[in-house]
Amino acid sequence: MSETSAEQVASTEALVAERKPRRLKFRIFRYNPQDPNSEPRMQEYRLEETPFMTLFIALNRLREEQEADLQFDFACRSAVCGSCGMLVNGRPTLACKTLTSDLPRVIHLHPLPSFQLVGDLSVDTGSWFRGMSERVQAWVHERAPFDPEAQEERMDDELAQAIYESDRCIECGCCVAACGVAATNDEFVAPAGMNRIARFMMDPRDGRGRRDWFDVISSDEGVFGCIGLMACQDVCPKELPLLEVYAYLRRKALGGWFLGGK
Amino acid sequence: MREATRVIDRMRTDPPPRGSRITAPDGRKQVLYEVLASGSGAVLAVFMWGHMFFVASILLGTRTFDTIAQWMEHVYVAQPTVFIVLALFVLHAVLAGRKVPAQLRERKRAFALASDLKQSTRRWTGGDALTRPHAESWIWIWQVRSALLIGILGSFHILLMGLDIFSDLFGRMEGIEAVSSMARTRAGLVWLYLPLLIAVEFHASVGLLRLAVKWGPGNRLSRRTLWRIEHVIFWSFIGLGLLVLVVLAGWIDPPLAFLTGDGP
Repeated sequence: MSETSAEQVASTEALVAERKPRRLKFRIFRYNPQDPNSEPRMQEYRLEETPFMTLFIALNRLREEQEADLQFDFACRSAVCGSCGMLVNGRPTLACKTLTSDLPRVIHLHPLPSFQLVGDLSVDTGSWFRGMSERVQAWVHERAPFDPEAQEERMDDELAQAIYESDRCIECGCCVAACGVAATNDEFVAPAGMNRIARFMMDPRDGRGRRDWFDVISSDEGVFGCIGLMACQDVCPKELPLLEVYAYLRRKALGGWFLGGK
Repeated sequence: MREATRVIDRMRTDPPPRGSRITAPDGRKQVLYEVLASGSGAVLAVFMWGHMFFVASILLGTRTFDTIAQWMEHVYVAQPTVFIVLALFVLHAVLAGRKVPAQLRERKRAFALASDLKQSTRRWTGGDALTRPHAESWIWIWQVRSALLIGILGSFHILLMGLDIFSDLFGRMEGIEAVSSMARTRAGLVWLYLPLLIAVEFHASVGLLRLAVKWGPGNRLSRRTLWRIEHVIFWSFIGLGLLVLVVLAGWIDPPLAFLTGDGP
């Protein structure tokens, strides 16, 4: 089995090496809001494709070789830091995870919508996530004062896994950018916010009761803002089960309505 | 230039909200609105299926159609149904309509996003999950459009049926009869019923799919399976509806009339 896959890799590499490299055309959004002379425009760049080239590599080469002041964000180049979210041919995704070979010869790059523009392809996702965290109070609310001597409370393995699953969010902002509601309602907590709510709602260490959570989710800024467009789950680079989270919160809101109380 | 302006239009201009914790002062009311919006939609969808089967009795001949219509009026099922459906119709329009962006600028943003996401599939050549097609946002825009069409044509239809059931304006007597229904359809209403049929079946089947995703039962199935179920429902009712419409318009004779011995 391993032999076959090694052969396959070798033959793919040979094929890639043999193919005449494409000359990619990038159409990149350029605008610097800090510069009063800057006008929003689309600028074209050409670059020869290399084997296994990602947009991370392509953009860095463009900046090194052609446009020193091109703004975009990168840190980890391995889909962990969540910095390089951008619209690639109209779809929010991570540039470091995107191979140019998956794209046609002409590649359109825009900054993620629904965030504040820093410049060119760089947007301020940090302030948005900070604000969202504050608004949904995304931290464990202790039930009792912390006792460093006491043993940690035990938790079901399944529950721990579910919390971990929600925690896999890297805050890249792709789901926010793909969300039709977040695009029109600035107050909406968006899929990432709902995922965060669900994470702390599930956590048995969190002291917030049904009533507290009901107040957070049962509004158009919370779970009822969502109209089920499903784009968040379709674009999430970490493939989080955002629709399940969403239905879970909806049922919780319904339960809170029937049961009331704390 | 246009592309760049469109990008700018979609960026957030104000800093994101911070600090204040979200609280829902009327949370209980919001849940009620949601339940009523979802529930009225589901009831209307199921009503439309029942409606389709009753109207489909025309396929068995005009006599069967008349017998069923008269029976439903005799036991007073038809009369209250007019009012109940009208009430649900208005309720659903008001509650579900809350979610449609009001400002033109917001609509343009939602439109641009949905259209970009739909087209992006064609602007990727290979790859795996990243290229998963996403048309659901775009389909939502068509749900709004079909809703507008249903709002106009459906209101007209309900009013007409109300008049037919409660007055003797149409036909020889109060109530629905095959002869007057067919005469109306043939006289040109077929061209109103055809778009109404398509809009209703589309709106109902997609709406039910979204309900399944929103409240959870759909999450056990894959998206592909959900859409397959939607397609089967949609095309079945479109097929049956078209057949009924063609018979009502008098373009073909009731194809199953031989079963009841009902001559054309």
